[in-house]
Amino acid sequence: MLTEFGKIFIFLLLAIGFVGIALFAAKLIRPHRPTKEKLLIYECGENVEGSPWVKFNIRFYVVALIFLIFDVEVVLLFPWALTYQEFGFYGFLVGVIFLLILGLGMAYEWRKGDLNWDRTKPNIPELSKILTNKNVSNVKIDEQIKES
Amino acid sequence: MINEILNSITFIYPELAVSIFLLIIVLVDLVFHKDKKYIPYISLAGLVITGILVLNQIGITHFAFVPQLSAVKKYGMMTIDPFGSYFKLLVVVTSILIIFFTIASEEVIDLKERLGEFHALIYGMILGMLVMISASDLILIYLSLELLSLSSYVLAGFLKLRERSSEASLKYVIYGSVSSGLMLFGISIIYGLTGSTNLYVINSLIQGPQINLFTLSFSSILMFVGIGYKISAAPFHFWTPDVYEGAPISITAYLSVASKAAGFALLIRFIQTGFTSFISEDGYWTLIAVFDWQALLIAISILTMTLGNFSALWQDNLKRMLAYSSIAHAGYILLGIAVLSNQGLIAVLIYFFVYMLMNIGAFYVVMLISNKTGSENIDDYDGLGAKAPFLGVALAIFLISLTGLPPTAGFIAKLYLFIALIDANMIVVAIIALLNTVVSLYYYVRVLKHMYLTKSEREQENITPSIGSLVYLLVLLIPILFFGIYFTPIVEFARSCVSLLGI
Amino acid sequence: MIELIYLTILLPLLGFVINGFFGKKIGNEKVIGLIGSSTVGISFVISLLALIETINLPVEQRTNVVELFTWMSVGSLNISFSYLVDQLSLVMALIVTGVGFLIHVYSIGYMHGDKGFYRFFAYMNLFIFAMMNLVLGDNFVVLFLGWEGVGLCSYLLIGYYYDQKFEKGTVAQAAKKAFIVNRIGDFGFLLGMFLIFETFNSLNFLEVFSQAKHLTGAESTFGFIALFLFIGATGKSAQIPLFVWLPDAMAGPTPVSALIHAATMVTAGVYMVARASIIFASAPVILAVVAVIGLLTAVFAATIGLVQTDIKKVLAYSTVSQLGYMFLAAGVGAFSAAIFHVMTHAFFKALLFLGAGSVIHSMHHQQDIMHYGGLKKYMPVTFLTFIIAAFAISGFPGLSGFFSKDEILWFSYANGNFVYWLLGALTAVLTAFYMFRLVSLTFFGEERFSHDKYHPHESPKVMTIPLIILAVLSVIGGWIGIPEVFSGEHGNVFHNWLAPIFLDAELKLAYYGAHSHTEELILMAISVSAALFSMYGAFKIYTQRREIAEKFALKFKKAYMVLLNKYYVDEFYEATVIQPIQKSSEKFLWKIADNKLIDGIVNGTAVVITSFSSVIKKMQTGVAQVYALIMMTGIAAILFWIILSL
Repeated sequence: MLTEFGKIFIFLLLAIGFVGIALFAAKLIRPHRPTKEKLLIYECGENVEGSPWVKFNIRFYVVALIFLIFDVEVVLLFPWALTYQEFGFYGFLVGVIFLLILGLGMAYEWRKGDLNWDRTKPNIPELSKILTNKNVSNVKIDEQIKES
Repeated sequence: MINEILNSITFIYPELAVSIFLLIIVLVDLVFHKDKKYIPYISLAGLVITGILVLNQIGITHFAFVPQLSAVKKYGMMTIDPFGSYFKLLVVVTSILIIFFTIASEEVIDLKERLGEFHALIYGMILGMLVMISASDLILIYLSLELLSLSSYVLAGFLKLRERSSEASLKYVIYGSVSSGLMLFGISIIYGLTGSTNLYVINSLIQGPQINLFTLSFSSILMFVGIGYKISAAPFHFWTPDVYEGAPISITAYLSVASKAAGFALLIRFIQTGFTSFISEDGYWTLIAVFDWQALLIAISILTMTLGNFSALWQDNLKRMLAYSSIAHAGYILLGIAVLSNQGLIAVLIYFFVYMLMNIGAFYVVMLISNKTGSENIDDYDGLGAKAPFLGVALAIFLISLTGLPPTAGFIAKLYLFIALIDANMIVVAIIALLNTVVSLYYYVRVLKHMYLTKSEREQENITPSIGSLVYLLVLLIPILFFGIYFTPIVEFARSCVSLLGI
Repeated sequence: MIELIYLTILLPLLGFVINGFFGKKIGNEKVIGLIGSSTVGISFVISLLALIETINLPVEQRTNVVELFTWMSVGSLNISFSYLVDQLSLVMALIVTGVGFLIHVYSIGYMHGDKGFYRFFAYMNLFIFAMMNLVLGDNFVVLFLGWEGVGLCSYLLIGYYYDQKFEKGTVAQAAKKAFIVNRIGDFGFLLGMFLIFETFNSLNFLEVFSQAKHLTGAESTFGFIALFLFIGATGKSAQIPLFVWLPDAMAGPTPVSALIHAATMVTAGVYMVARASIIFASAPVILAVVAVIGLLTAVFAATIGLVQTDIKKVLAYSTVSQLGYMFLAAGVGAFSAAIFHVMTHAFFKALLFLGAGSVIHSMHHQQDIMHYGGLKKYMPVTFLTFIIAAFAISGFPGLSGFFSKDEILWFSYANGNFVYWLLGALTAVLTAFYMFRLVSLTFFGEERFSHDKYHPHESPKVMTIPLIILAVLSVIGGWIGIPEVFSGEHGNVFHNWLAPIFLDAELKLAYYGAHSHTEELILMAISVSAALFSMYGAFKIYTQRREIAEKFALKFKKAYMVLLNKYYVDEFYEATVIQPIQKSSEKFLWKIADNKLIDGIVNGTAVVITSFSSVIKKMQTGVAQVYALIMMTGIAAILFWIILSL
């Protein structure tokens, strides 16, 4: 007899198998005629400039983190809001302290200037440097065309 | 419920004090962000207050935060006991020493702008350690471990413009997350097995016959990996040398003492509370028959000390050498736990106290010298004995104590460790440890040789430490020499702090 | 005051610290001397007050322990710095601080102008500190620490003039000799201590002795303990065969000889035997050995003293001889007589040395008595006090030496046998002879020195006043121990005072000889008259008819040479012990064992370790993936092991 986990495991296998078989079948059936345009990442968009492996501006992460923190805050505050009345003043106090600490964190970020987008000059990758790099996608694309 | 929480708060005053001062430091940093020279003093004041609160707790044995759900037996999430108080005191004292350390360290002085963050992060570490020492609930253990780790990742890479520092931080994060992931996995399996996260409940449940031994062992090993990473036990120690070398030296000293102490406290509590069925009258622990903890601990400790000592042999960077030496010391201390007796525990407590003094001292001298010469390379120590007589003698005493030779306190620490080993009839292990000590002599004495016997090729000015540094070193040196001769006070203190909250 | 007894130990330590660390900065001799002697003086006062307090206590409460702190506690071994204040230790403490104080004061004058003045006082205070630990300690470990401490101070002070020549070698060599010979004794003492701990599981005096009192049937264990302890005592108290260092110790400044090598340190062995009296009493064979060794040393050293010409050498051999007396007393179970002699001897021997120092001081460090003569008119105080001391040591009736020496002689007969008495009395006769030879050659007769070179003069008051005080003590010091034959039943105050300490030992020995007072009086009369005759003879010969002595020396040339060369004991040790050890250590230990074997092992391990280390070093590559791989391998290995072991 299968346990509940066993059933899930079978589902997992089936799911993986489905994807695998579908891709494999497509590979067998489809025609294969690559051109330069077809192999571009955005076939009908702009041409790619440089490698996708560039450093993203750290501020994206900061925003993401702030979002995360306040998101989690909401998760904690919902249950608190439902029950704090049972605990009277102390229950209220706990929530206030929690919010104050979070607020302090927010103020800290603000004061440190982490919320200003143009705080320092970001380190933008230079095209000339990237083009000399062998890993650039355009070069790869050319090679692929040659092979085919 | 609310009463229980309010009542429990009286037992976590030290942790509360640390949290409050953490907020104060952040606030001060925000409000007076032009002038940050008061921040170290605020953090010192906070530590002193915390220390007093911890001292008040010594002798108290109590559970805090007992959930109401377990109506039958009252086991709390936190345990206040003399053992924990000893380690908390150790952490607080170490932190105070480290704050003074950073005041003198030029690496940190250069970071005037970010001093507030630096101290706030140190406080984060302290909070993590204090909670970790008392935690008797797996969730709390994990949370405090993460708090400690996250703060220390940032601190390790605090000199972000220095390549090695960033590398150190990155490596630290990678290994930290791998091992905390493993630990979390272990915790989830234990929870799955027993349905509880409280160590005391787990202890009583796994004594039953229906437990799958392999699963339990597996999860315990995963827990052990998480802790072993914190105490840098082999083979989970590889991050240590790289991180210790790259981090600012004050943080290296801190990591090597305080966070290791907290890790050991956790390990001892985990084994003693989670796996001990009873303690006999002569102080030996009988463990629940899950797997052979003792053999595992002995193997790991011998591996740790051997790897640490042998790798340290030809290190030319003193910071890196001390990193390896701290790995080796973790091995010795692990042996004290492996005895699985109160006698061994006393040895561990004594060892940590002495280790704190001598390790911080050694790092401090290295820091002072690198302040002047800008290098930690052993060749730059040539002829130091003549150029800086006091620093030379101080470093010599610290190194001799680290080796464990009389008349220093390091000898007493090793002596009690070996007495515990021999008392438990672990003669072979004792001999291996002794041989390791002999190996360690090579690399400690090598520094002395460079200081006193090798003539410097370059002309260098004399190094005269400031009055503050002199006092600091004396504060470390005097106890090392004093306890080397008259060691009853620490032995008695350790003996009185050996009891954990029982099962 | 009893509970403040630790001050008597700490004050000299304080003096040492001040003089030792700041003496050079202080520089002023008066201040240094004041610090050095006042600390000892206050210690004396405290000891005296403690004595008075103890006297006022009932007999059974006179043993008090003052605990200072626990030094270490490992397993069943518990050692604390605590001090035993009882009748015996108080007597010793008073001797040490009292005589010590007088000698400190004397030294202010004697060492005047010396470049190491502060160093001298620092060492002297350190010595008092160590000696007080020795006599007051309530366990063998503290006693041993004091024991080693006085040895160290003795070494430092003998070698005080470390840059000068002494006899055939240097002062430093003499100091080294004292230290090494003492170490041999200490080794025995250590073995004894280990055996005591093994047997009684304690090193505390009161515990060990109360157990020893009830322990029966362990004759051989007691024997070994007593033997080892006695070996220690022979080293410290200069008995056969380890006496050779004491004459060489005279290389030190004369106050040092007075304090360390006459009055206090060398009596430590006697004190230790008396302290452990119950252990010795439980081993009668060893007790007999103690008596015989003491007796032989007494006679042996006295004969050597007959022909020596160096004033301090004569006194040194006299000290060895008197120490032999004390061991004779202890060996026949008369422990309180031994301690009594320790006390009186401290008075008159310290006086003799200080007097000799006064003479040497005024004669510009000339020590050969053949170059003295007729000094009495130049230095009357020194002469008077010196001759009082000479009378005292020779046992002139009524003086302190008479009572103590007579008591020992009587017990050696009553508890021992006639031969003991005879040899003891012979020693007394010899003592009287060489002492008066010394007195005559120094203070009487024609002046055998040139006035161009020497200007003998009386010493300053700071030196003569201690001499006078000691002279008074040499006269009256014995009156507290007047034997029962004169003072009646229980009339011997000193004996009664110490009786509770030695009660157990005496009960165990059970000497109940039926000897009458008449016997005692007859023997006393014989020995005293012989000594008196000998004194007179020596005086006559060496003041008026020195040719008799010379003729005698010529006639028995061989015997004379043997005595003059101290029975060739030094040469004998040189040939049998020192040379073989040096030869074998050079030929075998150094060239083969050390160079080849030990160096080979050491270098070999270094090579092995280095190569092993270079392998391990490679594991730390710095590549993160490798670390992770090893870590996971480690976890896998542990799991594999668990699977295997389940």
